[in-house]
Amino acid sequence: MARGRELFRYCATRLALAPVMLWLIASLVFLLLRVAPGDPVDAVLGSRAPEAAKAALRSSLGLDQSLWNQYSNFLSRLVHGDLGNALINNESVRSIISKTLPASLELGITALIISAVLGLTVGFSGIARPEGKFDFAGRFYGIGTYALPPFWAAMLIQLVFAVMLGWLPVGGRFPPSLIPPEGSGFLIFDSVISGNWAALQGSIRHLVLPACTLGLLLSGVFTNALRLNLNRTLKSDYVESARSRGLSETQVVLRHALPNALLPVLTIAGITVASLIGGALLIEVTFSWPGIAMSLYESINQRDYPVVQGIVVAIAALVVMVSVAVDLLVAVLDPRIRY
Amino acid sequence: MAVDLKNRCVTDRRRSRLQASVLIGLALAFSQSACKPKRQSERLTVASAGRISSLDPALASTTGVLQVLSALGDTLYIRGTNGKLQPQLAASKPQLSDDGLSLTIPLRRDVLFHDGTRFDAEAMAFSLNRFLRIGSQRYLLSDRIAAIETPNTFEIRLRLKHPSSSFESLLTSPYLTPVSPKAYADHADRFLNDRFVGTGPYTLNSFRNTQQRLLPFRNYWGTPPNNVGLDLINLSNSTALFGALISGEVDVLLSNSIDEDQKRALSERADKNLLRESKGPATNITFVTLRTNRPPLQSQTVRRALAHSIDRRLISARVSYSQREPLRSLIPPGLRGGKTEPWPTYNLNTARKLFQQAGYCSGRRLQLPFTFRTNVPSDRLMALTWQAQLKRDLPDCVQMTLNGVESTTVYEQLSKGAFEAVILDWGGSYPDPEAYISPLLSCKLSEGNICEKGEAVDGGTFWAAPGLQTALRRSDSLQGKARLKELATVDAMAAEGAPYIPVWFVAPKAWAQLRLNPPIFNGNGLVNLAQLGERR
Repeated sequence: MARGRELFRYCATRLALAPVMLWLIASLVFLLLRVAPGDPVDAVLGSRAPEAAKAALRSSLGLDQSLWNQYSNFLSRLVHGDLGNALINNESVRSIISKTLPASLELGITALIISAVLGLTVGFSGIARPEGKFDFAGRFYGIGTYALPPFWAAMLIQLVFAVMLGWLPVGGRFPPSLIPPEGSGFLIFDSVISGNWAALQGSIRHLVLPACTLGLLLSGVFTNALRLNLNRTLKSDYVESARSRGLSETQVVLRHALPNALLPVLTIAGITVASLIGGALLIEVTFSWPGIAMSLYESINQRDYPVVQGIVVAIAALVVMVSVAVDLLVAVLDPRIRY
Repeated sequence: MAVDLKNRCVTDRRRSRLQASVLIGLALAFSQSACKPKRQSERLTVASAGRISSLDPALASTTGVLQVLSALGDTLYIRGTNGKLQPQLAASKPQLSDDGLSLTIPLRRDVLFHDGTRFDAEAMAFSLNRFLRIGSQRYLLSDRIAAIETPNTFEIRLRLKHPSSSFESLLTSPYLTPVSPKAYADHADRFLNDRFVGTGPYTLNSFRNTQQRLLPFRNYWGTPPNNVGLDLINLSNSTALFGALISGEVDVLLSNSIDEDQKRALSERADKNLLRESKGPATNITFVTLRTNRPPLQSQTVRRALAHSIDRRLISARVSYSQREPLRSLIPPGLRGGKTEPWPTYNLNTARKLFQQAGYCSGRRLQLPFTFRTNVPSDRLMALTWQAQLKRDLPDCVQMTLNGVESTTVYEQLSKGAFEAVILDWGGSYPDPEAYISPLLSCKLSEGNICEKGEAVDGGTFWAAPGLQTALRRSDSLQGKARLKELATVDAMAAEGAPYIPVWFVAPKAWAQLRLNPPIFNGNGLVNLAQLGERR
């Protein structure tokens, strides 16, 4: 009962701190964008537009106001859930996020599943014989995939599997010859719901390369985490005690060591979500995946302040939510944790 | 016996390796045939670079958007492959009043918008007024147009603020394509990003930032398209575009955004008759901008010495495998109306003499900081090559140091005089010499040879010359040969003053699969998408 109260207090504190964190991040992004060189007006009008035309546009976009005025306007809109409109085409930032976020989530979730399955399988495979061939290969795999530069790996995979072998599409999210099914924006889900099997096949074909690349690059984290935790757990007292009770090694590993070794991996999975977004940027750009990271990249290039601010706030909110959810899950699964 | 066993083991191992190799080979061969993307429609897939954030002509500026708009809409006039002005929605050539201040354009009577409404003078006036109100490049029109009149249903009259011979070219720009007043009634003063209702050979069937589907417009007034429709896809990087064409995933590739080595690889494939390649008129020029209001480049002699010192052929060969052609004018060759190339050719002796005249080479070297845009790969290569070339040719006269700066910072700092020498490029908003020389050379207020206000300041040269602005204005008011002569004078004055050193020009290219007709470019540097189709 006391633990439940502690847990509740912990959750409430985390959730109460979330808006503060979001405010800090939003303010930082607001400031950094204004400090960074470059002018969104140049992106709209071109660098050689007459100064008078630039001044008129700057005024209509409110960019001629004082920094404080711009900041207070931004914050007051943010509090009301209004992320503003893109400077480039006046589209609402909320609409841009709602169009691109499902694509990124679809890619991210698939990549996370691939990375977890691949990473944990490789990490687990070497455990039968520590310092053996499999263990060494697993260690090499863990370090290798983690150290691989994402853009290079992505381009190489794209070149081999899409260009040379022609197995899968080079880029994009959906076959150009089909109309994407309407709905949630998660194309695989929407295709299944609408019973559009051609669309489903097309969506999966386009998802395979970017998701496998991202999954491969992140799987090393899981491999290393599981290897280290499993090695440590196998040397712990309770595992020795299980062995002394005459349990087989398989039972010892699967029933006693593995569940305990997986708990820290769960926390790492939560942290991986943040890296997933960073990694997704390069993957989305390489595979022309129309996700939120790609939108962020383009908006930064165009100095489209409202879009950059809106996307960063949305991503930050997502990371906070996932991290709170993972903390709660770990707390529920591990009775030893105290807050 | 032991030996036999060992031999058998070795033989078995070899056999299993052979079997595995055969299996892998078969699997690869199968994958090559079975897993290649199957053609699911008769429509053509056309790939280009960059996403399309809006299809509103009032916002259009990138080549990708202009390309789509050119298929969805028509303009009053179009520049043909030969560069000549041809009526499109206009019924004939514009009638210019004697004072050059009024342009009367008769319109076609058989044109319908995609929503079934009639195209007439009111619709054209609506579209022009809409562009003047909300167009991102409205200054191009507002600087010239005093009033838009509709004397009758199929005639539009444009009153100009001053005579402008380049105005006709401006009317070929896809951002002046008319839109249906009915469809845009609620968007007369705001952008309509994801729909387009114009008069072109295609209607917009579906729109996403990265994919658009265009279907032939059944009631099109002109020649119907050669294909049953187009699926346009927008990929974000050069490797993806290159790979999509090579793997057969796309039928046509329209892009200048692909890397030079990949461009060369595609050209080589075209030479081997594996692809079709087409080249459009040059639309983009690259030049070195020199800051002329402060020493050492305040000296015209030093600037001219630098202009003589640049080996364009070598630089183009190293940077682009000679695909970018050397340029010695501020006007792209297709628009020049002649073969005038007033900037000097590479001449080391003259360069050395001029440097010596300016007091360099005899124990004194010109320290030249040269800035390039870090996000433009060809800029970096150009800077490195020129630096190495100067070190080889004139080591005792010039020492060049390189600074890499991101392009947005460069544009922001140009007018503040932050860069002594910087490499930049420029593509005119419409196919006319005016769209190149005016933004680069205009000056509103000057003292001597220094411009204090105007485009020359915004462009970072701060250069002015007596009589240049008069010649600029005159060149836009004259017609025909007299105009060409005046343009040549302006170009020659700029070459003499050398605030810029033109380096190369870039002509757009397009590639198509072998079974298709080769793409055809119009005078605006855009591919005629309706002409694409199976080769007969």
